[in-house]
Amino acid sequence: MAKFLLLAFRNIFRNRRRTLMTLFMVGGGVAGLLLAGGYFAFMTHGLREDTINSGLGHMQIFTADHFNRDENRVLDTGIDNWRQVAASVKTGSHVRGIAPRIDFYGMVSNGTKAAGFMGSAVDPEAEKSLGFITHIESGRNLDPKPSGEVEALIGNGLAKSMNVGIGDGLTVLAMTSDGALNGVDVQIVGIINSGAAERDARYLRITLPAAQRLLQSDRVTNLVVGLDSTDNTDRAYAEMMPHLNGLSQRLELKKWIDLATYYKQVNSMFNGIFLFMGIIVFFMVLMSSVNTLLMSMFERTREIGTMLAMGTPRAWIVALFMVEATLLGVMGAVLGLAAGNLLGALLNSSGLHMPPPPGYSVPMPFRVRYVPLEMVGSSLLVIVSLALASILPAVRASRLRIAEALAHV
Amino acid sequence: MEEIVNVEAVSRRFPLDNSPAHHPAHRFVSALTHANLRVTAGEFLAIAGPSGSGKTTLLNLIGCIDQPTTGRILVDGVDTSQLKPAGMSKLRRERIGFVFQTFNLIPVFTAAENVEYPLLIQGVSSGERRERVAQALESVGLSSRANQRPDLLSGGERQRVAVARAIVHRPALVLADEPTANLDTHNATQLIDLMHGLNRSLGLTFIFSTHDARLLEHTERIIRLTDGEVVSDTASEGGSRG
Ligand SMILES: Nc1ncnc2c1ncn2[C@@H]1O[C@H](COP(=O)(O)OP(=O)(O)OP(=O)(O)O)[C@@H](O)[C@H]1O
Ligand SMILES: [Mg+2]
Repeated sequence: MAKFLLLAFRNIFRNRRRTLMTLFMVGGGVAGLLLAGGYFAFMTHGLREDTINSGLGHMQIFTADHFNRDENRVLDTGIDNWRQVAASVKTGSHVRGIAPRIDFYGMVSNGTKAAGFMGSAVDPEAEKSLGFITHIESGRNLDPKPSGEVEALIGNGLAKSMNVGIGDGLTVLAMTSDGALNGVDVQIVGIINSGAAERDARYLRITLPAAQRLLQSDRVTNLVVGLDSTDNTDRAYAEMMPHLNGLSQRLELKKWIDLATYYKQVNSMFNGIFLFMGIIVFFMVLMSSVNTLLMSMFERTREIGTMLAMGTPRAWIVALFMVEATLLGVMGAVLGLAAGNLLGALLNSSGLHMPPPPGYSVPMPFRVRYVPLEMVGSSLLVIVSLALASILPAVRASRLRIAEALAHV
Repeated sequence: MEEIVNVEAVSRRFPLDNSPAHHPAHRFVSALTHANLRVTAGEFLAIAGPSGSGKTTLLNLIGCIDQPTTGRILVDGVDTSQLKPAGMSKLRRERIGFVFQTFNLIPVFTAAENVEYPLLIQGVSSGERRERVAQALESVGLSSRANQRPDLLSGGERQRVAVARAIVHRPALVLADEPTANLDTHNATQLIDLMHGLNRSLGLTFIFSTHDARLLEHTERIIRLTDGEVVSDTASEGGSRG
């Protein structure tokens, strides 16, 4: 009923100071959630793009058998006619390009010392065309068409443990498809520092032809698909799936999210923190507004008694108080959204930086991203919280004994 | 004549919280003792008595705001002791109008909106509401103040708005507990005259209470209460009514 809503709306402004306090708290909660959530979103978004651009790509194609592979002979379960597969999926509407890879394992030796490695064989031009970044600490990237010796990049940890540097030679040993041990001499042209120390302690990269010669096979382990935008992953996935059926080998298509373990961990940690903050805001709003709403109910005792005396159904009184609180929540949420977005915009234009996180050397920019879902979520959170907070005062108001309420001064 | 109120042997005792439990006789205060009262349609009736004599208690009982400890009350032919709370609420909503000592207007509503309220809770259509609110405000001489909030009205004006609110839904009975207690003599007399006028012109039944003897000059029937007992009723003394 419009008149009744009007009554609720006007009642909100009766005690301006108290309403302002409630709005401040509710709005502050929403704005706080928005800024925190926006910052988390910025961080995870950055990590996502970083992960994808460091070589994960948006999707990867494997053989179904790859997931039961023998680590010593990875190409036994590799993709056979990968050039055809790559050609057929490359025409997809969002596809920027395909990079073939061999992820393999073996040993490196410098004549006196040997160590296990986790290798990756790449087509440097394909990697470059997809915008994949190689975090080279010193030296240079692989030459796509090396004239002389086989070139290699190695992780800084591996370089240290093998006691080698740029220009030094190493022998790379791995098992061929026949089960024979094969070796190739490589020259180190660059040292990689990816930020993940564990990986860098074992990492080696050579070109695809070199690896295929070493492993005596024309296969690859996986095809990395780069898209025009991460947002198109699901669409491109749906489009690509049919192309992978009806081939001689059973292939599997994985989205980046299924391969980005670290990203998933970080993301779920941030989600957990955000949820926790949401719960705190929810209960803060709930508890402080129960008190405020009880106070305003108490002040209006005689008025409620009057309304009840005139025959207002008790349910209407309950509704009146709940609508008032809900409206208050809506107003607080709107203010909070405005404040949060304004502060976010100021922050984004301020160029503020955070000190570099561990493993990084450059300061992280302090930015927030706008996440519509978070805006809706935090608004609903405070609105529901206020509506719940009003139940007790509302029910108490509706149960007032009329004669006593009328005598209330 | 049609009977609007019939109070039959009604007593109302209130429990006293902080009395010694071993004094059973003092555990209650008797606000009203064995009261009898019949009111017929169109009467203009005053309940007089000193402070604490039971005026409010009696009006609350008639107005279905409170329930008797013993005895029963019929309002407009309905035995109120048989009603559930929702039924009492409906009876008050439809058959009774209230005027309070402290005006009790809803402060965020304008005069017109306050008068409209009883129609609102009865679900009267907006067109009819507008018409009847205008009529009611007109009948208390406040058409020009329709859009004022109560805090901008004088005490006398506020109580006239309250009277308009009490009659707008054409109740069978208007109850006013000390409606003049917060008014000066001039406004008090005016208010009683206004109610009396409405009683005559609309045939509305009014019961009001007061402890101000000066206001009783033109009142046809006066019930006197002392210590919760009806000590006199001018109707039965005069024999002209009953
Ligand atoms: N809820 C209650 N609890 C206990 N005692 C009550 C209650 N209500 C009224 N009384 C007592 O009942 C008696 C009658 O009270 P009531 O309010 O009806 O008198 P009144 O004539 O309206 O007085 P006043 O002119 O001061 O308004 C008083 O002694 C009062 O103290
Ligand atoms: Mg009284």
